[in-house]
Amino acid sequence: MNLFQKNVELLRRQDPALAAQILQTAGGILSIQTAKSGVPTAVTNNRTIHSAYDPLSEAERWADHQIENCQSGETLVVLGLGLFYHVEALRAKLPQDTVLIVVMPNLSELVDGLSVRSLDGWGERVCWVWGQAESLASKVAHQAKRIRLLTYEPALMIHQKEYETFRSQLRDQLAKGVSGRLHIMVVGPIYGGSLPVAGYMVRALEALGHRVSWVDHSLHAPGYQNLNSLKDDRLRMTVQQRFSDTLGVISLAHVAEDPPDLVLAMSQAPLSMAVLEQMRRKKVLTAMWFVENFRHLTYWQQMIEGYDFWFVMQQAPCVEAFKNAGASHVSYLPLAADPTLHQPVTLTREDQLELGSDVSFLGAGYRNRREILPFLLEKEWSFKLWGNEWDRAGVLASVLQRNGARIDTQTSVKIFNATSVNVNLHSYTGSGFDPDGDSVNPRTFELASCGAFQVIDHRSLLPEIFDESMMAIVRTPDELVPVVRKYFHEPELRRVMAEESRKRVLHSHTYAHRMQTLLSTIGLACPDRIGSILQGDRQAEALLARSQDCPELQTLLKTFPKTDRVELVDLANAIRQKNPETQLKREELLILMMDEYRQEKRDFL
Amino acid sequence: MPSISSDLPRTLIIQLARLGDLLQSLPALFSLREQYPNQIFDLLCPQPLVVLGELFPGIQQTIPWNGEDLHDLAKGWDGTLTQGYSQTAEYFSRFSANPYSVAYNLNNHPRSILAAHLFSERVVGAGDFGPLNERRPPWVDYLRQVACDRGDNRLHLADVFCGICGVRPPVVLPSLEPPDLELPVDIGRIVSNASLVKIGIVLGAGDADRRVPVGIWKELIEACAEHLPNCVCVLIGGPGEREIAMAIENHLSAIYLSRILNCVGRTSLPELAHIFNRCQWVVGSDTGPLHLAVACGTRVIGWYFSRARVHETGPYGGGHYVWQHQGVDHFENKGITPLNHEPKLPCSWPVVETVELIQGQGNIKGVSEWELWTSHRDDWGAFFMNGERSDSLVSQRKKVWEQLAGLSSKQYLELPQQTSNAGCLL
Repeated sequence: MNLFQKNVELLRRQDPALAAQILQTAGGILSIQTAKSGVPTAVTNNRTIHSAYDPLSEAERWADHQIENCQSGETLVVLGLGLFYHVEALRAKLPQDTVLIVVMPNLSELVDGLSVRSLDGWGERVCWVWGQAESLASKVAHQAKRIRLLTYEPALMIHQKEYETFRSQLRDQLAKGVSGRLHIMVVGPIYGGSLPVAGYMVRALEALGHRVSWVDHSLHAPGYQNLNSLKDDRLRMTVQQRFSDTLGVISLAHVAEDPPDLVLAMSQAPLSMAVLEQMRRKKVLTAMWFVENFRHLTYWQQMIEGYDFWFVMQQAPCVEAFKNAGASHVSYLPLAADPTLHQPVTLTREDQLELGSDVSFLGAGYRNRREILPFLLEKEWSFKLWGNEWDRAGVLASVLQRNGARIDTQTSVKIFNATSVNVNLHSYTGSGFDPDGDSVNPRTFELASCGAFQVIDHRSLLPEIFDESMMAIVRTPDELVPVVRKYFHEPELRRVMAEESRKRVLHSHTYAHRMQTLLSTIGLACPDRIGSILQGDRQAEALLARSQDCPELQTLLKTFPKTDRVELVDLANAIRQKNPETQLKREELLILMMDEYRQEKRDFL
Repeated sequence: MPSISSDLPRTLIIQLARLGDLLQSLPALFSLREQYPNQIFDLLCPQPLVVLGELFPGIQQTIPWNGEDLHDLAKGWDGTLTQGYSQTAEYFSRFSANPYSVAYNLNNHPRSILAAHLFSERVVGAGDFGPLNERRPPWVDYLRQVACDRGDNRLHLADVFCGICGVRPPVVLPSLEPPDLELPVDIGRIVSNASLVKIGIVLGAGDADRRVPVGIWKELIEACAEHLPNCVCVLIGGPGEREIAMAIENHLSAIYLSRILNCVGRTSLPELAHIFNRCQWVVGSDTGPLHLAVACGTRVIGWYFSRARVHETGPYGGGHYVWQHQGVDHFENKGITPLNHEPKLPCSWPVVETVELIQGQGNIKGVSEWELWTSHRDDWGAFFMNGERSDSLVSQRKKVWEQLAGLSSKQYLELPQQTSNAGCLL
């Protein structure tokens, strides 16, 4: 029996189906070479998968590095196979009872490895999971809740797309089983377009059952904007920067007062690098949802290392740019709608009269809109223009409503509902449509959530969110008028499409969905912190189950409802509620003592 | 932390505050020892002060309270509750082998109260009604009241600590025995020189508002050098005062540089005690090192300003002087709580007058904004006199003791006075 056959026999004992599949699979993905140290190494597409000198030592170093962060009770899942030197090294360093899973979306790679590397003595203590990315995620999620993903990047690159799919599927699978309650501090901007999104985010997180502390800096907007009265630009910018820095320190004080599990900042949140560094020193996890076009607003480059997690509304070029700039975790997270606000409404006669029209546009006066929208004038339909920054509107002045005042959310919902054809053109500072236009603006989701019909300019990321059965999509400015005309005369078709778009929002594109994705992404990357809390590890029931070694703690834990999250502060508060004459037990004194030190904030600011 | 293992019943004194408070606890320790001569006494104090606690006469073991360790332990609870609890329980298990028969707790702080109950089932002082009970014993309540609204209080903090422990002020004036240490050569050569008059100058203060301006220290050093032949001013302070000392050296005229010895940031607490022990006088604001000098038997001249008040924290024992700035009384006379207001800082300083006191001049002229007080001691502890006669408030201390101890005057009169075995009050 040769090495390959011995390996297959070993795997057969664990998973006969896997062994059978291996025998039907051809290898050839990896080109096997001999390293300087004399052991096999592998190359694919001119890229080395393991060291050309000493793969064993390299694998030892990788395993040592990975093991630093691993916690007991976690299931370790390795992504990236190669010749599995790293898997063998890791297995050797782990306690016997630690479950180690290797995910294999493609068996050809395994076949190559089994021909030159032996599993004898360690391979039976690894769980080899194989299949399509979707089924892999189900298998892994089914086996464990506290999962730590470990990536061996050189080998992961071979099947990167499959691993990415696995990762997102696993995230969604785990999100379904979430029962834990986090304390999330949302830090919003002082003003601007991301401010309402911060509000939607807060509502969504609360609706998901998390405790949210909103550091709402919009309260300081009048003071900040009052500084615009300073005429000297340099002076004004300096003072505004200091004002913003002070708000950052205020945010830090809130964190010190009531430490959250996660600080979630919205674009333009006034958190300086100094404040973020202090949060990192204090082991506060931070995330930023950057809902801006990364090509237009580039301040993220200066802040990139400040946040532990970045979420962006643009795909590959943006994610790559952030990673290249030094971000450790970047994920795509498109905008969404809040269906409790963005919903179909019945309008009063007065509202219909003022806000209604056959065709309308709501948004700020960017250059491309100023050039395209005049083509909608003087047609067989009535047209209304809503929004601000429309000074020197030219021919559009005649249709500009409310003298170009900013339109609040409630009114915009009424306008969407009162319009037959809502035109939704993404902003662009050039002419026509943005040739690099990828992200989908919030208005798209809001219109859809309202059950309002829209004609939208094409965006590269639109098809994975909505399709043409839900809205009319125009690819060039020339198509706009004919498409509006077509749908203006098709009320029933508009109704059906709008209804479909609303269903899609409710199914997949609410802020609650986004927050679930955001939290499970962080949970997957931090299984011992956010991940374990989301999985309910901090709930009284789970704590009780794990407190066999601390019987004195069990008595206290039993006083809490099973699903309540219990932290040191909760135990301490429960003890403080006791009769003042009570003689406390030693464990109660220890808990109160630790709570005293937990509250210490002397070096936070 | 050292482990505790003894079969003998032991007593623990808990003082978790700063250096000054630890030194003000010395009289209580002396009284307790006088009252309970066969008892073993241990001391629980902040880790950085353990070296000083080890110099306290009669203390068998000084237990360090390590705030950093405890803070780290508390952070450990962020991981998992059970793990955090296990680590905490293990950390404290070293203390539980042999609990103390009684813990005297001198701080009305939750940590101190909890520590007292962890160390002993019987707590005297702050927290003796239980860690959850907000009721305070009379002496602790009095102390808190004084902290909020000083009023006409004439009881010294050190004596209130005695009251908290249920004993009278000590018969024997408490003092430390500085260890015989080898000092750095340049320091040792000067402080051991018996022909020199050494004047310690305490530059630092725990709170910035109790710091004397650099220019004033410079004036004092120059005045000492001009008027006191053979004197050397020994600059005292921690690492945080190095810049102040350098500023003084930079501002001093070259002819005076040979008249200073800069020890700032170079000495441990035992070394400092050793240096103080060889100084004839020490001058400084109301700080821990000033009280260390007092405990070492050195005469001191305190400059009390900002929130410092001679009657509460003046140098304990006889023969000391305190210049009390009028800023504090300025608020009290208006019925305003000084703690809630920015204190009025001195415009002038008693520099020349301090030198005159060191020279032994009996007839000191008054100084604008300042009053001169001299320290004394009687059956009710330390008190201070401005001039030859004590005021009526000094004599009222006896009534306060009677009220707080819950005893009648008759009972007080029956208590042994100034004997080798001071009376137990509670």
